[in-house]
Amino acid sequence: MKKLFVLLCVLSALLPFAARADEEGGAVYEILDANGAALTWYAGVPQAGDEYISQDNRHFRIVRVDADARRAYADSLGDFQLPDVSWDQDGARPVSQKKRAVALYCTHSDESYESADGKSSIDKGGGIFDVAEALKKHLEEKGVTVHYSSENHFPHDAGAYRRSRATAASLKEEGVDAIFDIHRDGIPDAGQYESEVNGRDVTKVRLLVGRANQNSDANRHFAAQIKAVADKRYPGLIKDIYIGKGTYNQDLMPQAVLLEFGTHKSDKSQVLASTALMADVLDRALYGGVTGAAGKDSAAGNRGAYTGIAWLLGLMVIGMFIYALLATGSRRAAFEKWKGNFREMTGGLFSGRKKD
Amino acid sequence: MSVGLILLSGVSALVLLGAAQRVLDRMQLSDRAALLIAAAIFVGGLIPSLRLGPVRLNLGGAAVPLGVCVYLLIRTDTKQELFRALLGTVLTGAAVFALGRLLPAEPEKMWIEPQYLYGLSGGLIAYLLGRSRRAAFICGVLGTLLADTLSAVLTWRAGIGQTLSLGGAGAFDTVVIAGILAVLLAEFLGEALERLSRGRKAPSPERRGEP
Repeated sequence: MKKLFVLLCVLSALLPFAARADEEGGAVYEILDANGAALTWYAGVPQAGDEYISQDNRHFRIVRVDADARRAYADSLGDFQLPDVSWDQDGARPVSQKKRAVALYCTHSDESYESADGKSSIDKGGGIFDVAEALKKHLEEKGVTVHYSSENHFPHDAGAYRRSRATAASLKEEGVDAIFDIHRDGIPDAGQYESEVNGRDVTKVRLLVGRANQNSDANRHFAAQIKAVADKRYPGLIKDIYIGKGTYNQDLMPQAVLLEFGTHKSDKSQVLASTALMADVLDRALYGGVTGAAGKDSAAGNRGAYTGIAWLLGLMVIGMFIYALLATGSRRAAFEKWKGNFREMTGGLFSGRKKD
Repeated sequence: MSVGLILLSGVSALVLLGAAQRVLDRMQLSDRAALLIAAAIFVGGLIPSLRLGPVRLNLGGAAVPLGVCVYLLIRTDTKQELFRALLGTVLTGAAVFALGRLLPAEPEKMWIEPQYLYGLSGGLIAYLLGRSRRAAFICGVLGTLLADTLSAVLTWRAGIGQTLSLGGAGAFDTVVIAGILAVLLAEFLGEALERLSRGRKAPSPERRGEP
Protein backbone atom coordinates (compact mmCIF):
# COMPACT_ATOMS: atom_id res chain seq x y z
CA MET A 1 0.00 0.00 0.00
CA LYS A 2 2.87 2.29 0.91
CA LYS A 3 4.55 1.56 -2.43
CA LEU A 4 1.33 2.27 -4.31
CA PHE A 5 1.07 5.59 -2.51
CA VAL A 6 4.64 6.49 -3.51
CA LEU A 7 3.88 5.45 -7.06
CA LEU A 8 0.80 7.65 -7.26
CA CYS A 9 2.79 10.54 -5.78
CA VAL A 10 5.49 10.16 -8.43
CA LEU A 11 2.90 10.05 -11.22
CA SER A 12 1.10 13.08 -9.79
CA ALA A 13 4.39 14.94 -9.60
CA LEU A 14 4.83 14.48 -13.33
CA LEU A 15 1.52 16.13 -14.19
CA PRO A 16 2.52 19.77 -13.55
CA PHE A 17 5.47 19.33 -15.92
CA ALA A 18 3.14 17.84 -18.48
CA ALA A 19 0.59 20.60 -18.03
CA ARG A 20 3.24 23.27 -18.34
CA ALA A 21 4.56 21.67 -21.47
CA ASP A 22 1.04 21.54 -22.87
CA GLU A 23 0.63 25.26 -22.31
CA GLU A 24 3.65 25.79 -24.51
CA GLY A 25 2.12 23.65 -27.24
CA GLY A 26 1.42 26.54 -29.60
CA ALA A 27 4.46 28.58 -28.70
CA VAL A 28 6.34 30.46 -31.39
CA TYR A 29 9.82 31.68 -30.56
CA GLU A 30 11.97 34.29 -32.21
CA ILE A 31 15.61 33.31 -32.57
CA LEU A 32 18.12 36.13 -32.37
CA ASP A 33 21.87 36.33 -32.81
CA ALA A 34 24.32 37.73 -30.22
CA ASN A 35 23.69 41.28 -31.48
CA GLY A 36 19.95 40.94 -31.06
CA ALA A 37 19.30 40.68 -34.79
CA ALA A 38 16.41 38.39 -35.73
CA LEU A 39 17.47 35.16 -37.42
CA THR A 40 14.23 33.23 -37.75
CA TRP A 41 11.04 32.10 -36.08
CA TYR A 42 10.45 28.67 -34.69
CA ALA A 43 7.11 27.03 -33.88
CA GLY A 44 8.02 25.17 -30.75
CA VAL A 45 10.38 25.63 -27.85
CA PRO A 46 14.03 25.86 -28.92
CA GLN A 47 16.51 24.27 -26.57
CA ALA A 48 20.04 25.30 -25.68
CA GLY A 49 22.28 23.21 -27.91
CA ASP A 50 19.98 23.31 -30.94
CA GLU A 51 21.75 24.40 -34.09
CA TYR A 52 20.58 26.54 -36.93
CA ILE A 53 21.94 26.93 -40.46
CA SER A 54 20.47 30.00 -42.09
CA GLN A 55 19.48 30.38 -45.71
CA ASP A 56 22.79 32.16 -46.38
CA ASN A 57 24.68 29.34 -44.63
CA ARG A 58 25.57 30.99 -41.35
CA HIS A 59 25.84 28.48 -38.55
CA PHE A 60 24.49 29.19 -35.03
CA ARG A 61 24.04 27.34 -31.77
CA ILE A 62 21.29 28.34 -29.34
CA VAL A 63 22.78 29.19 -25.98
CA ARG A 64 19.91 30.71 -24.04
CA VAL A 65 16.14 30.52 -24.10
CA ASP A 66 13.94 33.18 -22.51
CA ALA A 67 10.59 31.42 -22.09
CA ASP A 68 8.76 34.54 -20.85
CA ALA A 69 9.79 36.67 -23.81
CA ARG A 70 9.49 33.70 -26.18
CA ARG A 71 12.98 34.39 -27.48
CA ALA A 72 16.06 32.26 -27.98
CA TYR A 73 19.60 33.58 -28.36
CA ALA A 74 22.19 31.96 -30.59
CA ASP A 75 25.96 32.28 -30.84
CA SER A 76 27.59 32.26 -34.22
CA LEU A 77 29.68 29.23 -35.15
CA GLY A 78 30.86 30.90 -38.36
CA ASP A 79 30.00 30.01 -41.90
CA PHE A 80 28.63 26.56 -42.62
CA GLN A 81 30.46 24.72 -45.37
CA LEU A 82 27.96 22.91 -47.57
CA PRO A 83 29.16 19.70 -49.26
CA ASP A 84 30.72 19.95 -52.69
CA VAL A 85 28.06 19.13 -55.26
CA SER A 86 30.08 19.86 -58.36
CA TRP A 87 29.04 16.40 -59.58
CA ASP A 88 25.58 17.85 -60.18
CA GLN A 89 25.92 19.02 -63.79
CA ASP A 90 23.34 19.62 -66.50
CA GLY A 91 22.87 16.44 -68.45
CA ALA A 92 24.62 14.40 -65.79
CA ARG A 93 21.88 11.92 -65.07
CA PRO A 94 22.04 8.56 -63.39
CA VAL A 95 23.44 5.72 -65.41
CA SER A 96 22.92 3.21 -62.64
CA GLN A 97 20.22 0.64 -63.30
CA LYS A 98 19.71 0.25 -59.58
CA LYS A 99 16.16 0.80 -58.43
CA ARG A 100 15.71 4.33 -57.14
CA ALA A 101 13.20 4.48 -54.32
CA VAL A 102 12.24 6.85 -51.53
CA ALA A 103 9.46 6.89 -48.93
CA LEU A 104 7.03 9.64 -47.91
CA TYR A 105 4.67 9.82 -44.96
CA CYS A 106 3.07 12.42 -42.71
CA THR A 107 3.44 12.07 -38.94
CA HIS A 108 1.15 15.03 -38.28
CA SER A 109 -1.58 13.89 -40.62
CA ASP A 110 -3.95 16.66 -39.49
CA GLU A 111 -1.74 19.55 -40.67
CA SER A 112 -3.49 21.78 -43.18
CA TYR A 113 -3.34 25.13 -44.92
CA GLU A 114 -6.02 27.64 -43.96
CA SER A 115 -6.05 29.24 -47.41
CA ALA A 116 -7.32 26.16 -49.21
CA ASP A 117 -8.33 23.68 -46.55
CA GLY A 118 -10.26 26.14 -44.37
CA LYS A 119 -8.56 25.10 -41.14
CA SER A 120 -5.02 24.66 -39.91
CA SER A 121 -5.80 21.18 -38.61
CA ILE A 122 -8.22 18.53 -39.85
CA ASP A 123 -8.52 15.42 -37.70
CA LYS A 124 -9.56 13.03 -40.45
CA GLY A 125 -6.65 13.99 -42.71
CA GLY A 126 -5.31 17.43 -43.56
CA GLY A 127 -4.07 19.18 -46.67
CA ILE A 128 -0.55 17.99 -45.90
CA PHE A 129 -1.46 14.77 -47.75
CA ASP A 130 -2.02 16.84 -50.94
CA VAL A 131 1.52 18.17 -50.57
CA ALA A 132 2.96 14.69 -50.04
CA GLU A 133 1.00 13.36 -53.03
CA ALA A 134 2.20 16.23 -55.25
CA LEU A 135 5.79 15.52 -54.23
CA LYS A 136 5.22 11.83 -54.95
CA LYS A 137 3.84 12.60 -58.43
CA HIS A 138 6.81 14.81 -59.33
CA LEU A 139 9.32 12.26 -58.05
CA GLU A 140 7.62 9.49 -60.04
CA GLU A 141 7.81 11.65 -63.16
CA LYS A 142 11.57 11.52 -62.67
CA GLY A 143 11.53 7.75 -62.52
CA VAL A 144 11.86 7.48 -58.75
CA THR A 145 9.72 4.81 -57.11
CA VAL A 146 7.85 6.36 -54.21
CA HIS A 147 6.54 4.27 -51.34
CA TYR A 148 3.91 6.55 -49.87
CA SER A 149 1.77 6.07 -46.80
CA SER A 150 -1.42 8.06 -46.27
CA GLU A 151 -1.81 6.54 -42.81
CA ASN A 152 -3.53 8.81 -40.30
CA HIS A 153 -1.55 9.25 -37.05
CA PHE A 154 -4.16 11.32 -35.23
CA PRO A 155 -4.17 12.78 -32.58
CA HIS A 156 -1.47 15.42 -32.97
CA ASP A 157 0.07 14.67 -29.58
CA ALA A 158 3.30 13.32 -28.10
CA GLY A 159 2.28 9.82 -29.23
CA ALA A 160 2.10 10.81 -32.92
CA TYR A 161 5.75 9.95 -33.53
CA ARG A 162 5.23 6.63 -31.71
CA ARG A 163 2.37 5.80 -34.08
CA SER A 164 4.20 7.03 -37.19
CA ARG A 165 7.25 4.98 -36.21
CA ALA A 166 5.50 1.83 -37.43
CA THR A 167 4.69 3.58 -40.71
CA ALA A 168 8.27 4.76 -41.18
CA ALA A 169 9.70 1.35 -40.32
CA SER A 170 7.42 -0.50 -42.74
CA LEU A 171 8.32 1.98 -45.50
CA LYS A 172 12.00 1.45 -44.75
CA GLU A 173 11.51 -2.29 -45.25
CA GLU A 174 10.66 -1.54 -48.90
CA GLY A 175 14.37 -0.96 -49.41
CA VAL A 176 14.21 2.79 -49.91
CA ASP A 177 17.23 5.06 -50.14
CA ALA A 178 15.72 7.82 -48.00
CA ILE A 179 12.64 8.60 -45.93
CA PHE A 180 10.92 12.00 -45.81
CA ASP A 181 8.38 13.00 -43.18
CA ILE A 182 6.22 15.75 -44.73
CA HIS A 183 5.04 18.59 -42.48
CA ARG A 184 4.08 22.23 -42.55
CA ASP A 185 5.37 24.82 -40.10
CA GLY A 186 3.22 26.47 -37.43
CA ILE A 187 4.60 30.02 -37.42
CA PRO A 188 1.88 32.60 -38.13
CA ASP A 189 3.93 34.80 -40.50
CA ALA A 190 3.57 33.27 -43.95
CA GLY A 191 5.99 35.89 -45.26
CA GLN A 192 8.86 33.99 -43.64
CA TYR A 193 8.30 31.22 -46.14
CA GLU A 194 7.44 33.24 -49.29
CA SER A 195 9.96 33.07 -52.08
CA GLU A 196 10.36 33.55 -55.79
CA VAL A 197 12.34 30.94 -57.64
CA ASN A 198 12.90 31.15 -61.39
CA GLY A 199 10.18 33.81 -61.59
CA ARG A 200 7.59 31.66 -59.87
CA ASP A 201 6.04 32.25 -56.47
CA VAL A 202 6.69 29.28 -54.20
CA THR A 203 7.02 28.60 -50.50
CA LYS A 204 10.36 27.76 -48.99
CA VAL A 205 11.12 24.44 -47.36
CA ARG A 206 12.73 24.04 -43.93
CA LEU A 207 14.78 20.91 -43.27
CA LEU A 208 14.58 19.57 -39.74
CA VAL A 209 17.11 17.13 -38.35
CA GLY A 210 17.05 15.54 -34.89
CA ARG A 211 20.22 15.66 -32.83
CA ALA A 212 19.28 12.97 -30.27
CA ASN A 213 20.10 9.78 -32.11
CA GLN A 214 22.98 7.80 -33.52
CA ASN A 215 22.13 8.79 -37.12
CA SER A 216 22.19 12.51 -36.37
CA ASP A 217 25.51 13.33 -38.07
CA ALA A 218 24.67 11.24 -41.12
CA ASN A 219 21.23 12.86 -41.41
CA ARG A 220 22.74 16.30 -40.93
CA HIS A 221 25.13 15.63 -43.80
CA PHE A 222 22.23 14.42 -45.93
CA ALA A 223 20.24 17.60 -45.18
CA ALA A 224 23.29 19.72 -46.03
CA GLN A 225 23.64 17.87 -49.33
CA ILE A 226 19.97 18.58 -50.16
CA LYS A 227 20.51 22.26 -49.36
CA ALA A 228 23.69 22.40 -51.42
CA VAL A 229 21.90 21.03 -54.49
CA ALA A 230 18.88 23.29 -53.93
CA ASP A 231 21.05 26.39 -53.47
CA LYS A 232 22.78 25.59 -56.74
CA ARG A 233 19.66 24.77 -58.75
CA TYR A 234 16.94 26.81 -57.08
CA PRO A 235 18.38 29.52 -54.83
CA GLY A 236 15.75 30.61 -52.32
CA LEU A 237 13.91 27.28 -52.18
CA ILE A 238 15.44 26.00 -48.94
CA LYS A 239 14.65 28.27 -46.02
CA ASP A 240 17.16 26.83 -43.59
CA ILE A 241 18.17 23.75 -41.60
CA TYR A 242 17.12 23.41 -37.98
CA ILE A 243 18.92 20.79 -35.91
CA GLY A 244 16.70 20.29 -32.90
CA LYS A 245 16.46 18.16 -29.83
CA GLY A 246 14.40 15.12 -30.68
CA THR A 247 14.58 12.01 -32.77
CA TYR A 248 11.64 12.34 -35.22
CA ASN A 249 12.10 8.62 -35.96
CA GLN A 250 15.33 9.50 -37.76
CA ASP A 251 17.09 6.87 -35.67
CA LEU A 252 15.49 4.34 -38.03
CA MET A 253 17.55 5.38 -41.02
CA PRO A 254 20.69 7.44 -41.69
CA GLN A 255 19.04 9.20 -44.63
CA ALA A 256 15.84 10.55 -43.08
CA VAL A 257 14.84 14.20 -43.02
CA LEU A 258 11.73 16.07 -41.95
CA LEU A 259 10.55 18.61 -44.54
CA GLU A 260 8.40 21.61 -43.59
CA PHE A 261 6.55 22.98 -46.62
CA GLY A 262 5.40 26.53 -45.72
CA THR A 263 3.17 27.33 -42.77
CA HIS A 264 -0.55 26.94 -42.08
CA LYS A 265 -0.92 30.55 -43.31
CA SER A 266 0.87 29.93 -46.61
CA ASP A 267 -0.88 30.00 -49.95
CA LYS A 268 -1.35 26.30 -50.68
CA SER A 269 -0.94 26.75 -54.43
CA GLN A 270 2.53 28.14 -53.76
CA VAL A 271 3.26 25.21 -51.46
CA LEU A 272 2.25 22.77 -54.18
CA ALA A 273 4.41 24.67 -56.68
CA SER A 274 7.45 24.14 -54.47
CA THR A 275 6.97 20.35 -54.56
CA ALA A 276 8.00 20.19 -58.23
CA LEU A 277 11.28 21.95 -57.46
CA MET A 278 11.83 19.91 -54.32
CA ALA A 279 11.32 16.67 -56.25
CA ASP A 280 14.07 17.69 -58.65
CA VAL A 281 16.36 18.61 -55.74
CA LEU A 282 15.78 15.30 -53.93
CA ASP A 283 16.29 13.30 -57.11
CA ARG A 284 19.58 15.08 -57.82
CA ALA A 285 20.80 14.98 -54.20
CA LEU A 286 20.19 11.25 -54.05
CA TYR A 287 20.89 10.07 -57.58
CA GLY A 288 22.50 12.94 -59.47
CA GLY A 289 25.94 12.93 -61.01
CA VAL A 290 27.36 11.00 -63.90
CA THR A 291 27.76 7.81 -61.92
CA GLY A 292 24.26 7.86 -60.53
CA ALA A 293 25.75 7.75 -57.09
CA ALA A 294 25.53 11.25 -55.67
CA GLY A 295 27.63 11.64 -52.59
CA LYS A 296 28.10 7.92 -52.30
CA ASP A 297 31.01 6.97 -50.08
CA SER A 298 31.83 10.64 -49.67
CA ALA A 299 34.33 11.28 -46.89
CA ALA A 300 31.97 13.65 -45.04
CA GLY A 301 29.05 11.26 -45.27
CA ASN A 302 31.09 8.38 -43.94
CA ARG A 303 32.55 10.57 -41.21
CA GLY A 304 29.02 11.30 -39.99
CA ALA A 305 28.23 7.59 -39.96
CA TYR A 306 31.43 6.68 -38.10
CA THR A 307 30.69 9.41 -35.52
CA GLY A 308 27.30 7.75 -34.99
CA ILE A 309 28.92 4.32 -34.53
CA ALA A 310 31.45 5.72 -32.03
CA TRP A 311 28.66 7.54 -30.16
CA LEU A 312 26.56 4.39 -29.95
CA LEU A 313 29.38 2.06 -28.85
CA GLY A 314 30.73 4.63 -26.38
CA LEU A 315 27.33 5.02 -24.76
CA MET A 316 26.95 1.24 -24.49
CA VAL A 317 30.39 0.76 -22.91
CA ILE A 318 29.87 3.62 -20.42
CA GLY A 319 26.41 2.32 -19.48
CA MET A 320 27.74 -1.18 -18.89
CA PHE A 321 30.62 0.13 -16.78
CA ILE A 322 28.38 2.36 -14.60
CA TYR A 323 26.12 -0.63 -14.00
CA ALA A 324 29.09 -2.84 -13.11
CA LEU A 325 30.42 -0.13 -10.78
CA LEU A 326 27.08 0.09 -8.98
CA ALA A 327 26.86 -3.68 -8.68
CA THR A 328 30.38 -4.31 -7.42
CA GLY A 329 31.48 -1.16 -5.64
CA SER A 330 35.06 -1.01 -6.91
CA ARG A 331 36.59 -0.06 -10.21
CA ARG A 332 38.65 -3.23 -10.43
CA ALA A 333 35.72 -5.55 -9.73
CA ALA A 334 33.56 -3.46 -12.08
CA PHE A 335 36.12 -3.93 -14.83
CA GLU A 336 36.14 -7.70 -14.22
CA LYS A 337 32.32 -7.81 -14.33
CA TRP A 338 32.30 -5.67 -17.46
CA LYS A 339 34.82 -8.03 -19.05
CA GLY A 340 32.63 -11.01 -18.10
CA ASN A 341 29.58 -9.39 -19.67
CA PHE A 342 31.51 -8.52 -22.80
CA ARG A 343 32.82 -12.11 -23.01
CA GLU A 344 29.30 -13.49 -22.68
CA MET A 345 27.86 -11.12 -25.28
CA THR A 346 30.55 -11.91 -27.82
CA GLY A 347 30.66 -15.62 -27.07
CA GLY A 348 34.33 -15.30 -26.12
CA LEU A 349 35.19 -14.16 -29.61
CA PHE A 350 37.62 -11.46 -28.48
CA SER A 351 38.70 -12.43 -24.99
CA GLY A 352 38.57 -16.17 -24.94
CA ARG A 353 36.13 -18.32 -23.03
CA LYS A 354 36.10 -18.16 -19.27
CA LYS A 355 37.97 -21.09 -17.84
CA ASP A 356 35.99 -23.38 -15.54
CA MET B 1 23.85 4.09 -49.11
CA SER B 2 27.53 4.49 -48.39
CA VAL B 3 29.58 1.85 -46.58
CA GLY B 4 29.60 4.04 -43.47
CA LEU B 5 25.81 4.33 -43.42
CA ILE B 6 25.35 0.58 -43.91
CA LEU B 7 27.81 -0.07 -41.05
CA LEU B 8 25.96 2.43 -38.87
CA SER B 9 22.64 0.64 -39.47
CA GLY B 10 24.28 -2.72 -38.72
CA VAL B 11 25.90 -1.54 -35.49
CA SER B 12 22.60 0.03 -34.33
CA ALA B 13 20.84 -3.30 -34.85
CA LEU B 14 23.62 -5.24 -33.09
CA VAL B 15 23.61 -2.94 -30.05
CA LEU B 16 19.84 -3.35 -29.71
CA LEU B 17 20.16 -7.12 -30.19
CA GLY B 18 22.84 -7.23 -27.48
CA ALA B 19 20.71 -5.17 -25.09
CA ALA B 20 17.67 -7.38 -25.77
CA GLN B 21 19.71 -10.52 -25.16
CA ARG B 22 21.11 -9.19 -21.87
CA VAL B 23 17.65 -8.12 -20.70
CA LEU B 24 16.02 -11.46 -21.56
CA ASP B 25 18.95 -13.26 -19.95
CA ARG B 26 18.00 -11.58 -16.65
CA MET B 27 14.66 -13.39 -16.59
CA GLN B 28 13.67 -17.01 -16.25
CA LEU B 29 15.37 -17.85 -19.53
CA SER B 30 18.55 -19.69 -20.39
CA ASP B 31 21.34 -17.94 -22.34
CA ARG B 32 20.35 -19.81 -25.47
CA ALA B 33 16.62 -19.08 -25.09
CA ALA B 34 17.39 -15.39 -24.51
CA LEU B 35 19.49 -15.25 -27.67
CA LEU B 36 16.85 -17.13 -29.69
CA ILE B 37 14.08 -14.81 -28.54
CA ALA B 38 16.21 -11.72 -29.25
CA ALA B 39 16.88 -13.14 -32.73
CA ALA B 40 13.15 -13.88 -33.18
CA ILE B 41 12.36 -10.26 -32.34
CA PHE B 42 14.81 -9.13 -35.01
CA VAL B 43 13.88 -11.61 -37.72
CA GLY B 44 10.16 -11.37 -36.90
CA GLY B 45 10.41 -7.60 -37.19
CA LEU B 46 11.48 -7.96 -40.81
CA ILE B 47 8.44 -10.06 -41.73
CA PRO B 48 5.46 -7.97 -42.93
CA SER B 49 2.87 -7.45 -40.20
CA LEU B 50 -0.25 -9.62 -40.06
CA ARG B 51 -3.35 -7.65 -40.97
CA LEU B 52 -6.52 -8.35 -39.02
CA GLY B 53 -9.04 -5.70 -40.10
CA PRO B 54 -7.82 -2.32 -38.84
CA VAL B 55 -5.17 -4.01 -36.69
CA ARG B 56 -1.66 -4.87 -37.83
CA LEU B 57 0.37 -7.18 -35.65
CA ASN B 58 4.11 -7.37 -36.13
CA LEU B 59 5.70 -10.67 -35.20
CA GLY B 60 8.97 -9.29 -33.83
CA GLY B 61 7.68 -5.97 -32.51
CA ALA B 62 4.62 -7.30 -30.67
CA ALA B 63 3.84 -11.04 -30.98
CA VAL B 64 7.21 -12.32 -29.65
CA PRO B 65 7.46 -9.81 -26.74
CA LEU B 66 3.79 -10.55 -25.96
CA GLY B 67 4.57 -14.28 -25.91
CA VAL B 68 7.48 -13.67 -23.51
CA CYS B 69 5.15 -11.66 -21.23
CA VAL B 70 2.56 -14.46 -21.20
CA TYR B 71 5.32 -16.98 -20.39
CA LEU B 72 6.60 -14.79 -17.55
CA LEU B 73 3.09 -14.28 -16.20
CA ILE B 74 2.45 -18.05 -16.21
CA ARG B 75 5.78 -18.66 -14.46
CA THR B 76 5.15 -16.20 -11.62
CA ASP B 77 5.81 -17.84 -8.25
CA THR B 78 2.96 -16.30 -6.31
CA LYS B 79 -0.47 -14.82 -6.98
CA GLN B 80 0.77 -11.62 -5.40
CA GLU B 81 3.54 -11.36 -8.00
CA LEU B 82 1.00 -11.97 -10.76
CA PHE B 83 -1.30 -9.29 -9.34
CA ARG B 84 1.57 -6.80 -9.08
CA ALA B 85 2.60 -7.42 -12.69
CA LEU B 86 -0.96 -6.95 -13.96
CA LEU B 87 -1.54 -3.87 -11.81
CA GLY B 88 1.77 -2.48 -13.04
CA THR B 89 0.68 -3.12 -16.62
CA VAL B 90 -2.56 -1.18 -16.16
CA LEU B 91 -0.74 1.68 -14.40
CA THR B 92 1.97 1.78 -17.09
CA GLY B 93 -0.70 1.73 -19.82
CA ALA B 94 -2.44 4.66 -18.13
CA ALA B 95 0.88 6.50 -17.68
CA VAL B 96 1.92 5.97 -21.34
CA PHE B 97 -1.51 7.07 -22.56
CA ALA B 98 -1.50 10.13 -20.29
CA LEU B 99 2.07 11.05 -21.27
CA GLY B 100 1.10 10.81 -24.93
CA ARG B 101 -1.87 13.11 -24.45
CA LEU B 102 -0.45 15.58 -21.96
CA LEU B 103 3.10 16.08 -23.08
CA PRO B 104 3.77 18.47 -25.97
CA ALA B 105 3.37 17.14 -29.49
CA GLU B 106 6.83 18.19 -30.64
CA PRO B 107 9.61 16.00 -29.19
CA GLU B 108 12.06 18.91 -29.01
CA LYS B 109 9.86 20.59 -26.40
CA MET B 110 10.49 17.79 -23.96
CA TRP B 111 13.44 17.09 -21.73
CA ILE B 112 13.54 13.49 -22.91
CA GLU B 113 12.48 11.67 -26.07
CA PRO B 114 8.89 10.41 -25.48
CA GLN B 115 9.60 6.89 -26.71
CA TYR B 116 12.20 6.46 -23.96
CA LEU B 117 9.85 7.89 -21.35
CA TYR B 118 7.34 5.07 -21.87
CA GLY B 119 9.88 2.38 -20.97
CA LEU B 120 11.22 4.41 -18.06
CA SER B 121 7.73 4.84 -16.62
CA GLY B 122 7.18 1.07 -16.94
CA GLY B 123 10.47 0.37 -15.18
CA LEU B 124 9.77 2.86 -12.41
CA ILE B 125 6.24 1.58 -11.80
CA ALA B 126 7.36 -2.06 -11.82
CA TYR B 127 10.24 -1.31 -9.46
CA LEU B 128 8.05 0.57 -6.98
CA LEU B 129 5.44 -2.17 -7.06
CA GLY B 130 7.71 -5.12 -6.59
CA ARG B 131 11.38 -4.58 -7.44
CA SER B 132 10.99 -7.13 -10.19
CA ARG B 133 12.85 -7.22 -13.51
CA ARG B 134 10.27 -9.60 -14.94
CA ALA B 135 7.42 -7.32 -13.93
CA ALA B 136 9.34 -4.39 -15.43
CA PHE B 137 9.50 -6.15 -18.82
CA ILE B 138 5.81 -7.04 -18.62
CA CYS B 139 4.85 -3.48 -17.64
CA GLY B 140 6.98 -1.92 -20.40
CA VAL B 141 5.70 -4.20 -23.17
CA LEU B 142 2.06 -4.72 -22.18
CA GLY B 143 1.65 -1.16 -20.89
CA THR B 144 2.73 0.29 -24.24
CA LEU B 145 0.52 -2.13 -26.19
CA LEU B 146 -2.41 -1.27 -23.91
CA ALA B 147 -1.90 2.49 -24.39
CA ASP B 148 -1.66 2.08 -28.19
CA THR B 149 -4.87 0.06 -28.22
CA LEU B 150 -6.72 2.56 -26.05
CA SER B 151 -5.58 5.46 -28.24
CA ALA B 152 -6.75 3.65 -31.40
CA VAL B 153 -10.14 2.74 -29.90
CA LEU B 154 -10.76 6.39 -28.96
CA THR B 155 -9.72 7.49 -32.46
CA TRP B 156 -12.09 4.96 -34.05
CA ARG B 157 -14.89 6.12 -31.79
CA ALA B 158 -14.31 9.68 -33.05
CA GLY B 159 -15.02 8.33 -36.55
CA ILE B 160 -11.43 8.56 -37.76
CA GLY B 161 -10.04 5.66 -39.73
CA GLN B 162 -6.66 4.57 -38.44
CA THR B 163 -4.59 1.41 -38.43
CA LEU B 164 -3.71 0.12 -34.98
CA SER B 165 -0.16 -1.00 -35.58
CA LEU B 166 1.08 -3.16 -32.75
CA GLY B 167 4.86 -3.33 -32.75
CA GLY B 168 4.89 -2.20 -36.38
CA ALA B 169 8.48 -0.96 -36.25
CA GLY B 170 9.70 -4.46 -35.39
CA ALA B 171 12.78 -4.64 -33.18
CA PHE B 172 12.98 -0.84 -33.20
CA ASP B 173 9.39 -0.40 -32.08
CA THR B 174 8.54 1.50 -28.93
CA VAL B 175 7.11 -1.74 -27.49
CA VAL B 176 10.52 -3.49 -27.62
CA ILE B 177 12.44 -0.38 -26.55
CA ALA B 178 10.02 0.12 -23.62
CA GLY B 179 10.50 -3.50 -22.48
CA ILE B 180 14.29 -3.22 -22.61
CA LEU B 181 14.44 0.20 -20.95
CA ALA B 182 12.01 -0.84 -18.21
CA VAL B 183 14.24 -3.76 -17.21
CA LEU B 184 17.43 -1.69 -17.46
CA LEU B 185 15.91 1.04 -15.27
CA ALA B 186 14.67 -1.48 -12.70
CA GLU B 187 18.15 -3.04 -12.71
CA PHE B 188 19.93 0.31 -12.34
CA LEU B 189 17.53 1.46 -9.63
CA GLY B 190 17.99 -1.79 -7.77
CA GLU B 191 21.77 -1.65 -7.94
CA ALA B 192 21.93 2.07 -7.09
CA LEU B 193 19.62 1.80 -4.08
CA GLU B 194 21.39 -1.30 -2.81
CA ARG B 195 24.71 0.51 -3.18
CA LEU B 196 23.34 3.44 -1.20
CA SER B 197 22.05 1.19 1.58
CA ARG B 198 25.25 -0.90 1.58
CA GLY B 199 27.46 2.17 1.87
CA ARG B 200 31.14 1.33 2.10
CA LYS B 201 30.55 -2.30 3.03
CA ALA B 202 32.03 -4.78 0.60
CA PRO B 203 29.50 -6.46 -1.69
CA SER B 204 29.04 -10.20 -1.65
CA PRO B 205 31.53 -12.26 -3.72
CA GLU B 206 28.74 -12.96 -6.22
CA ARG B 207 28.15 -9.23 -6.73
CA ARG B 208 31.87 -8.65 -7.18
CA GLY B 209 31.71 -10.95 -10.15
CA GLU B 210 33.61 -13.69 -8.35
CA PRO B 211 32.60 -17.35 -8.67
